[in-house]
Amino acid sequence: MERRHSRLTYTLITIVSLLTVAPVVMLVIGSFSKNLRAFGDFTLSKYIAVYTDPMLVETAGNTLVFVLGSAAFATVLALFLAYLNNRTNIPFKFLFKVLSVVPMMIPHVLFAVSWALLLNPSNGILNMWLQQLFGLAKAPFNIYSMPGMIMVEGLLDLPIAYLIISPAMASFDVSLEESSRVFKGGPMRTLFKITLPVLRPAILAAFILCIVRVLASFAVPSVLGMPGRIYVLSTYIYRTVTMSLIADYGKAAAIGMSILVLSITLIYIYRYYTRFSDKYVTISSRGFKPAVVELRKGKIPLFIMLIIISFILIVLPVLVLLYTSFIPYIMVPNGQAFAAMSLANWRTVISDPISIKSLGNSLFLGIVGATVGSFLSILVAYVIVKVKTKASGFLESISFLSFSFPGIVIGIGFMWFFVRTPLYATIWALFFGYIATYLPYGIRPMTSAFVQIHGSLEESSLVCGASFATTMRRVVIPLLVPGIVSGWVLMATMFFRELSLSVVLSRPGTEVLAVQILRFSEDGQWGKLSALGLIMIFFSTLMVVGVNLIGNRFKPGEAKDRKPA
Amino acid sequence: MQITITGLKKHYHSEGKTIRALDGVNLTIEANKIFTLLGPSGCGKTTLLRCIVGLETPDEGEIKIGDTIVWSNEKNIYVPTEKRELGMVFQTYAIWPHMNVFNNVAYPLQNMKMPKDEIAKRVAKTLKFVQLEGFENRPATRLSGGQQQRVALARALVAEPKVILFDEPLSNLDAKLREETRKELRMFLGELGITAVYVTHDRVEALALSDMIGVMRAGNIVELGTPKKIYFDADHQFVADFIGRANLIPAKVTEETSEHSLVTTAIGSVVCQKRSFDPSDELTLCIRPEFLDFKPASDAINRITGVVEQMVFVGEVYESEIRVGTELIFAKLDPQTTLKEGDHVTFSMKPEHCLLVSR
Repeated sequence: MERRHSRLTYTLITIVSLLTVAPVVMLVIGSFSKNLRAFGDFTLSKYIAVYTDPMLVETAGNTLVFVLGSAAFATVLALFLAYLNNRTNIPFKFLFKVLSVVPMMIPHVLFAVSWALLLNPSNGILNMWLQQLFGLAKAPFNIYSMPGMIMVEGLLDLPIAYLIISPAMASFDVSLEESSRVFKGGPMRTLFKITLPVLRPAILAAFILCIVRVLASFAVPSVLGMPGRIYVLSTYIYRTVTMSLIADYGKAAAIGMSILVLSITLIYIYRYYTRFSDKYVTISSRGFKPAVVELRKGKIPLFIMLIIISFILIVLPVLVLLYTSFIPYIMVPNGQAFAAMSLANWRTVISDPISIKSLGNSLFLGIVGATVGSFLSILVAYVIVKVKTKASGFLESISFLSFSFPGIVIGIGFMWFFVRTPLYATIWALFFGYIATYLPYGIRPMTSAFVQIHGSLEESSLVCGASFATTMRRVVIPLLVPGIVSGWVLMATMFFRELSLSVVLSRPGTEVLAVQILRFSEDGQWGKLSALGLIMIFFSTLMVVGVNLIGNRFKPGEAKDRKPA
Repeated sequence: MQITITGLKKHYHSEGKTIRALDGVNLTIEANKIFTLLGPSGCGKTTLLRCIVGLETPDEGEIKIGDTIVWSNEKNIYVPTEKRELGMVFQTYAIWPHMNVFNNVAYPLQNMKMPKDEIAKRVAKTLKFVQLEGFENRPATRLSGGQQQRVALARALVAEPKVILFDEPLSNLDAKLREETRKELRMFLGELGITAVYVTHDRVEALALSDMIGVMRAGNIVELGTPKKIYFDADHQFVADFIGRANLIPAKVTEETSEHSLVTTAIGSVVCQKRSFDPSDELTLCIRPEFLDFKPASDAINRITGVVEQMVFVGEVYESEIRVGTELIFAKLDPQTTLKEGDHVTFSMKPEHCLLVSR
């Protein structure tokens, strides 16, 4: 048993290292190399070229504003919504659950595009409508701007911030606030001296995680930033490898290094704070009932606000895409627009070989990639939870390394890697790249499932004469079904809509959906984009629903054996 | 400071049902006494306390602290909690986890905008009083249950409020610590001599700590009195039963003299202390197990014979049940007794210990 475990551990360390450590190493070496063909030929010229680029100052400034602005917007909005849900008597609380889950199913690139369709300065639907309504000479809003980018990116990161802050708010011991009131603290003083400081670990954790995600964000900066020539670091890298005459992967690697270092540092700080937050939770004593704040005059306006936010996050993007997919060119919804509606865009997309190719590729990557990724995740999670050795600790840290990888940066690292292998420009480059980058998302739900399985269950199977493989297949895996399902769904949806890694690694013949949508967006082919985007949302939803149904069929009988958490 | 509560009502609505948490409470809590609200869970005692402190808003009535009306629906007065100048110890202690002991205790003074050196002096004095000297810089997350309790007490005392409120402050401590802390609390409060309102469902706590007890049931104060009055001389069966172990036997008055009443019960005729009742009241004979005399004189009044049905040795006594007719009488027997299950036994009850209560 022991020997088997250690062999498994070292095999996994080798595989995971190839997936997560190799691209980082290649990125570092690449950043000191002359070009893709002169790998390892040491030079500092790329660093000098990139970090003396006068554009970089502006780009870094934009990045700082974009990152801090979006993260702050998402965190403040999440804090507000978490408060409404957990601490007030606002009606229709199920909306909060919907708000925290459903937006994850809408690909970021489509969400960004739907806002471009609504609020772009030349023919944004909402802009044109407002112009007609008030007789304005020019468009009132321009989404191709820093505030526009911050708003859209902030809304995209709202669910993740909410998922971190809401549980902290739910376990908040209300008597902490009440005692402040008794001891002469007014409502404002209580908010700033007690409530917010007690929640600080969760708020900071949400803020930092949002920063890391925004730093890695590519969809919003490319769809909404680039048309207005507002570059942030991720689009700056993109431009370096795609838009100049000679793609310079050395420069891209050199700039990518600083994003990677920043990202990893922030994730360490994030982990520090989430560890800290547990400590605060444990002090809240048993037997308290969450006091609900009676909303009186504020109830209706706050509820309307909640409806608007839900509408903007969930309904609006789909609605805009649906409308656009039927009209020949962008116009305000009116009689004329409805008369001009046709299936033309849908027909063009369905007969467009590249779109169909990209759909096929994305489906393959989503389904097969997530299956292989889940299998690897099961093994890694097993070793992390059940084998407590130094080697398994090392495996854990390299597996979660890619949690802090910005897609486009690690894409550059993979580029340096794959170009030296036959995998270059094949679908397998994307395949392994995806698994490497999103491995933590597969492992996380499985580790929590493994923690719930008591060691004696496996041991009894071994005592009964079953081999290790049989034990896994007959005992361990059936108990893991809920964890496997959520891990698979997370990976499949992320693979299916992957953009930032794909824009670097995708080549003719290996197009994927999100990249194809970005191309349509760059060319302004909104009708075709919308049709393809809806097809994407349809398949994505189908995968989530389908797998959950299959998972549910496994649950009932098996769940009884599970040790309560 | 005296607290006067008049006609206080508070109703909750949940799932179509109305819960009368406070059903027109009238109560005067005397100044500089320890007053305990005692009752089973859900009787409204905590709601009443939270109304006094202002964390909950009543529907009707008036609350006066000293000469100040802090809440009145008729006069449309609401003084917010932070302006009521009270001290309070919460059931969960509500020690702020992001502050150290000093800042927790100093918080009320900081809100009063007191000068820094004065705050330091007052906090030091209060921490010394609760025997937490030298704990100033200890983070709140690194305190034991008993220490948290003292910090909570120090914080409630530091601003020298005229009234201090306790919401089941000992219920989160383990049994041994609870007993010790109860003694300390009795000592602290005795030294301070301020008005204290104490909420608990623990009868021993109520008896040990209070100058006055108000027993609550279903949103009403059923009975008010000193611990001895409540224990020995309750008017209501509910109160007599709640405050301690008692044998309760339905009774009917058949004869009355100037000092005694003769009642018939399932265990026979019993001579009781005379009490006046409303003629429509149904009565119960209440006799506490410690008043059963198992070495009765042959001419003792209220001699009763029964059969020992069960004896359980619990250390200091035998807890036993004695069958008399259709009733089972609970008794505490000498642990050295030679009686055993099935034996006949005779006991007597002094008339002054036989209490008639209304049902």
